[in-house]
Amino acid sequence: MNRKTFLLSAALLAALPFFSCNKTEDAGKLSVGFLLKSKGNQYFVTCEKGARAAAEELDIDLRVDGPISADPAKQNEIVENWITDGLDVIVAACENKDSLSTALRKAQAAGIKVVTYDADAQPDARSFFANQATAQGIGEKLIDTTAELTGKEGEFAIITGTLTSANLNEWIAAIKARVEEKYPGMKLVDIRPCDDNKDKAQQEATNLLSAHPDLKAIVAVCSPAVPGAAEAVKQVGKTGAVKVVGLGLPSENRAYIKEGVTQAIILWNPEDLGYLAVQAGVALKKGDLSKSAENFSAGKLGKLEIKGDSIILGTPMAFTKENIDGFDF
Amino acid sequence: MPRPKDILARHETVLLLVIAVEVILFQVLGRNFLTGGNVSNVFRHSVEIGLLALAMTPVILTGGIDLSVGSLMGLCAVLFGMMVKLLGLDPWVAGCLAVLCGALGGAVNAGLVAGLKLPPLIVTLGTFSLFRGLAEAFTKGSESYSGFSDGFLALGNSDLAGVPAQVWILLVVGFAIWFLVHRTTYGRSLRAIGFAEEGARYAGLPVARNLSVAYTMAGAVAGLAAVILVARLGEARANAGTGYELLAITAVVLGGVSIFGGSGNVVGTMLGWISLAILNNGLTRISDYEIFGEKVSSVARELSGLLTGLLLLGALALAMATKALALRRPTKQPASDSQTP
Repeated sequence: MNRKTFLLSAALLAALPFFSCNKTEDAGKLSVGFLLKSKGNQYFVTCEKGARAAAEELDIDLRVDGPISADPAKQNEIVENWITDGLDVIVAACENKDSLSTALRKAQAAGIKVVTYDADAQPDARSFFANQATAQGIGEKLIDTTAELTGKEGEFAIITGTLTSANLNEWIAAIKARVEEKYPGMKLVDIRPCDDNKDKAQQEATNLLSAHPDLKAIVAVCSPAVPGAAEAVKQVGKTGAVKVVGLGLPSENRAYIKEGVTQAIILWNPEDLGYLAVQAGVALKKGDLSKSAENFSAGKLGKLEIKGDSIILGTPMAFTKENIDGFDF
Repeated sequence: MPRPKDILARHETVLLLVIAVEVILFQVLGRNFLTGGNVSNVFRHSVEIGLLALAMTPVILTGGIDLSVGSLMGLCAVLFGMMVKLLGLDPWVAGCLAVLCGALGGAVNAGLVAGLKLPPLIVTLGTFSLFRGLAEAFTKGSESYSGFSDGFLALGNSDLAGVPAQVWILLVVGFAIWFLVHRTTYGRSLRAIGFAEEGARYAGLPVARNLSVAYTMAGAVAGLAAVILVARLGEARANAGTGYELLAITAVVLGGVSIFGGSGNVVGTMLGWISLAILNNGLTRISDYEIFGEKVSSVARELSGLLTGLLLLGALALAMATKALALRRPTKQPASDSQTP
């Protein structure tokens, strides 16, 4: 490169910062970054919907970003870029606990308020975690829904992931406690593991159906077990006679729900989760939510309980034949 | 004084043009692109790929390739995490050992390529799976190591004299490799091997030894990149560096190094790397646009793969076209093949 071209390009480069035009940013509005685990996941796309609704209500500038597919290093870069942009609040779902915590701590050090949702970071890397559901909430909703379907009596069985899975065992414990307390007519006859495998779940369910001819319901606490149990019930010809209830994604169970094999899917509403997380982040920034708060009024969701530093979204919802078409994740 | 046409025909000039276009485009379309903080981010986030590209250059100059560097990063990251967290080693000692582990991994490639004369593509395709597989086996795929000291994390997250700390490391490595490739007989021998391996052997060059050095060095640099990545993310995990080998190769080829070996230079590699780094960062600067009244989150990120491909093919085509233009009327001084002085 000769001197003239060099000088010319240097001058152009030096002048560039003056050419910048600000995009949709409005001065004065709070700016909030909403980080997804991955953009290819309908679950997070639904979370984003709720976040946008909250942004509209609160009149803030919302920026949504996330890797195309789950990628902790990309998430880290996005957060660092938001730090240099001087955002006010970052609301993040962490691909894994540790890889994002470093960047979130950096954000906090730069004065940015941090709230996590769906998947938490290390406690010192954020102020609050918008917790989708507690073990108790999930377990109780599962058994309450089942009880309603079976008239609060009869035998039921549980299909779980593995017998050693910590969170599944917590849910099962909550189910057992609830039965003892509220449903004396119901009897848990067996708990079978399916190793998080749909085919194994189907086989286990078939065995359960022949071993317990009076079975009224199967409760599937891991997501592959729900379609597995439904397929077994359908093939044995007990559609409707044996109820299937479980924790899973509406998309995986839509067909069975429409056929009437599976009666209900229990899950929190991701839209509400995104909405809550943004509400909490903005309240934190505005000083309406303090570290020691015991509850939080999250707009249209009403007053929610805070346990330690998690804001509990509340009880999960039941997806049934009536409402499942409204959700595409 | 070379004619303007010859300057235009140089690959580096084309790359500088590409970089200038990128900068202008992102400054106009994106937000906060040319700010101090963001320019730091451009380099901070891409140092690992830059290091791999630098180490890949000598290998490609010999007509070889190393597909295993990304996987080797994963293995070194995991080994580093284990040394610090399970053995309680000081992170700096463990860092040096991780570089050594990288060199050992590179030496495996070297042994198979130079010793057994197996094709580099096949050897490193094998170690590509092997190294990542080892990393996954050590961690059962899910375990990861974190909670490193602040002093160590500073390597990935702090600034030194206004420049991200790890960029200094890249500059040192870059200079060392530039010196090695362009200022030593070793560097000349690499190109000789790339042009004609048999010829180099008959000319009495220690082909096997020189090839071994190139592959071992690539491994060591992969180990270094792994340590820097861990310091930046604060976590050592088996999936570290996934796909980085292809980005590094893209940077090298974009930089004008012939994939058949024999020609190319380190400055080109650096420019290729910078143009990739700017693309990667600039795309994240264009986010949350209103398009037809509908908010779209970072529309540009979805185009990242597409644009990387276009960048590579476009820049190479442009370089070819300008070269052809310059060569149309032969002059006293033919355009140099973007080689070293």
